[in-house]
Amino acid sequence: MDIELSASDLSFREEVRQFFRDNAYKPGEDYAKWRLDWFAKAAAKGGWDVPKWPKEFGGPGWSPTQHYIWEQETARATLPWDMPFGVGMVAPIIMGYGNKAQQERFLPDIRARKVNWCQGYSEPGAGSDLASLKTKAVLSADGTHYVVNGQKIWTTAAHIADWMFCLTRTDDSGRKQDGITFLLFPMKQPGIEVKPIITLGGAHSVNSVFITDVKVPVENRIGEEGKGWTYAKGLLQHERTGLAGISRSLVALEGLKANAASVPRGNGTLLDDPDFRAKVAALEIDLLAAEFTELRSLASAQAGAAPGPESSILKLKGTEIQQRIQKLTVEAAGLYAAAWGASQPGPKFARGGMSGYLASRAYTIYGGASEVQKDVIAKNVLGIKRSQA
Amino acid sequence: MNFELSSEQRLIQESIARFVQDNYPLDARQKLAAGKLGFSETHWSTMAELGWLALPFDAEDGGFGGNQIDTMVLMEQFGKGLVLEPYLASIVMGGGAVKRGSAALRTEILPGVIDGSRQLALAYAEPQSRFDLHDVVTNARSDGADYVLNGHKSMVLHGGSAHQVVVSARTSGGQADTGGISLFLVDMDAEGIKRDGFPTVDGLRAAEITLKDVRVPASRVIGTIDQGYPILTAVANDAILALAAEAIGAMEVLYKDTVAYTQERVQFDHPLADFQVLQHRMVDMFMEYEQCKSLLYRATLEVAQGTSPTAQRTVHALKHLVGRSGIFIGENAVQLHGGMGMTEELRIGHYFKRMLVIESQFGNTDYHLQRFAA
Ligand SMILES: Cc1cc2nc3c(=O)[nH]c(=O)nc-3n(C[C@H](O)[C@H](O)[C@H](O)COP(=O)(O)OP(=O)(O)OC[C@H]3O[C@@H](n4cnc5c(N)ncnc54)[C@H](O)[C@@H]3O)c2cc1C
Repeated sequence: MDIELSASDLSFREEVRQFFRDNAYKPGEDYAKWRLDWFAKAAAKGGWDVPKWPKEFGGPGWSPTQHYIWEQETARATLPWDMPFGVGMVAPIIMGYGNKAQQERFLPDIRARKVNWCQGYSEPGAGSDLASLKTKAVLSADGTHYVVNGQKIWTTAAHIADWMFCLTRTDDSGRKQDGITFLLFPMKQPGIEVKPIITLGGAHSVNSVFITDVKVPVENRIGEEGKGWTYAKGLLQHERTGLAGISRSLVALEGLKANAASVPRGNGTLLDDPDFRAKVAALEIDLLAAEFTELRSLASAQAGAAPGPESSILKLKGTEIQQRIQKLTVEAAGLYAAAWGASQPGPKFARGGMSGYLASRAYTIYGGASEVQKDVIAKNVLGIKRSQA
Repeated sequence: MNFELSSEQRLIQESIARFVQDNYPLDARQKLAAGKLGFSETHWSTMAELGWLALPFDAEDGGFGGNQIDTMVLMEQFGKGLVLEPYLASIVMGGGAVKRGSAALRTEILPGVIDGSRQLALAYAEPQSRFDLHDVVTNARSDGADYVLNGHKSMVLHGGSAHQVVVSARTSGGQADTGGISLFLVDMDAEGIKRDGFPTVDGLRAAEITLKDVRVPASRVIGTIDQGYPILTAVANDAILALAAEAIGAMEVLYKDTVAYTQERVQFDHPLADFQVLQHRMVDMFMEYEQCKSLLYRATLEVAQGTSPTAQRTVHALKHLVGRSGIFIGENAVQLHGGMGMTEELRIGHYFKRMLVIESQFGNTDYHLQRFAA
């Protein structure tokens, strides 16, 4: 055990910082072009555009410490806009379970950020109980394609996505986890209708997707028919550790302190208020621990072990921490936190604080709702066997 | 000891409950909230006709002679529908200040307030004041028969539509002194007034108001010069009681909707309500609601009784608990509704947002805990 960064880690960190400095967005630049160039340059560094991909698929093959450094630095820098669905979610599944032709067909565009993906898992009747999904895929008589019918809900970014990776039901005769098939299809085609859902902060990011008689060639099926659940489950694990956002929270905590220090109270600021200060401190303590929980998890993953018990709590702790930071930001804004609409009186952070807080309430709902996550930990980590369902 | 409502209070309660039921389904509310004014003038007239606007005013001022208990009954029902009309701003806050003023002022102003034609508001907060009512930079200097006001008032509830606004201003003393604060009733069409109205996250309205050399006749001073603070705190206490009652109405909707939803929504072949962790959470929500209600009664009765030495402390306790519990109940209502709780489509989210705003009005949870502990 050792907490010091080695000389080579330090020089790696400097290299990362240098890269971010050299390629920072300059005001006035064509954003879309800068974005694609940025990823291309990161690729040229040897997989910096896809840090988490395995080496054989072009990833950088970093040590846990290097990943940790990267996370820390990216939380601070302004990186080009990116969504998790392609590089972070569907790509690992295509790598793990897709065939060579699919890997060659899909991975380069995902990597180049040329194609936007969305995740078509949840349905009106299948949220926490995802395996009860009903969107039907029926194989044509000649075995060349599936015909898909059903409804997905809460599909983030469906309105800007080019492709969906979708869980469908091909068999409902057995256990509900069996008979689920993993299909990929383009979003911009007849038979797909996307309807916006407006969430609490007034934002449009999630959608309902209605799928009617959409033909999907069998070449777009990942792995075997009926095995989709196994593939998706692996990904969910992946998704969850990514949602903890510890490095981002460390930066957000600094932001919170700066915001509180900008609110005058008596002769000092809100950050001098002992009660507010104590709440910030308690948050920081949880974050210090969570940071090392994440490091332990990274280290055991690197050692090739299955994710250790510590990784199961990361999503829970990480999202709770994010919510507390948002909550304290709202508190710091005081009366002004309520201001809405176009005019934004009060401190600059007030408006973003409220919408950030409202959006953060979803963190403990998506990617495995907290109550269900705890069930999973009780069963799989603590080994508690329940005598009834 | 008696926690029963009088038959008169019960009648009012029923009539308000009916009004809310008929006029405040979510879609109707959202339509009003999105309109130019942010509430319904028709509803406002109805409230005047039914005598609700007269409720907390003395009979000699043309009122109904009610007290904080009557306002509590009304506000709790309003909370169940997230009523948008400016009852709190005009009747409890603005009207609440004027009714503590001179007979001449009451005679001039209150009839219009009670018949609904004159809407008032209260401007007590300033950009630097946070929750301290006594942190007042806006100043008023005497000039002949007038006072001349300069300053910036922030987050004035319904300040954009009010005809007249009660403004706290400093006439002597230092920035944070409780002495030296005076209250002025200021016409919003007076020269030197600038108003920037905007919606708040809960669908209500507020305004930033700046005053530049605004002349206010001395006859529009509420109470005595330099001694506005006790009036201001009394009005704030009434407003806290009213807000708490509204919050409790809203909490009831939040926990009951959650209980109903979890019994309908099936996952893992069970209604969600079968899962013990959710049962316990809902029991916690219910307990918080009941505790708030108890403290609401306690604080309201102590304040209404008028001589209780602990009334102020109990009001602090109430505002603290309502803030804490309101957010607990709101956050968990959303959580237990899953994705549905995050939508604008269900009412849960809207009640939750109202809870958030109530939490910060007239001092947030921490502020009142500090006051209580002090
Ligand atoms: C902002 C947002 C973005 C999303 N993006 C996507 C996306 O891109 N793609 C996608 O497929 N999905 C997406 N989702 C859906 C998300 O995965 C689901 O909301 C989540 O799985 C929960 O399902 P549900 O909303 O149906 O809630 P439910 O499953 O109905 O759960 C409601 C409540 O009951 C609790 N509960 C459920 N079962 C149990 C149990 N057995 N024991 C105890 N408590 C239980 C839950 O914890 C929760 O509190 C998104 C959701 C949101 C809010």
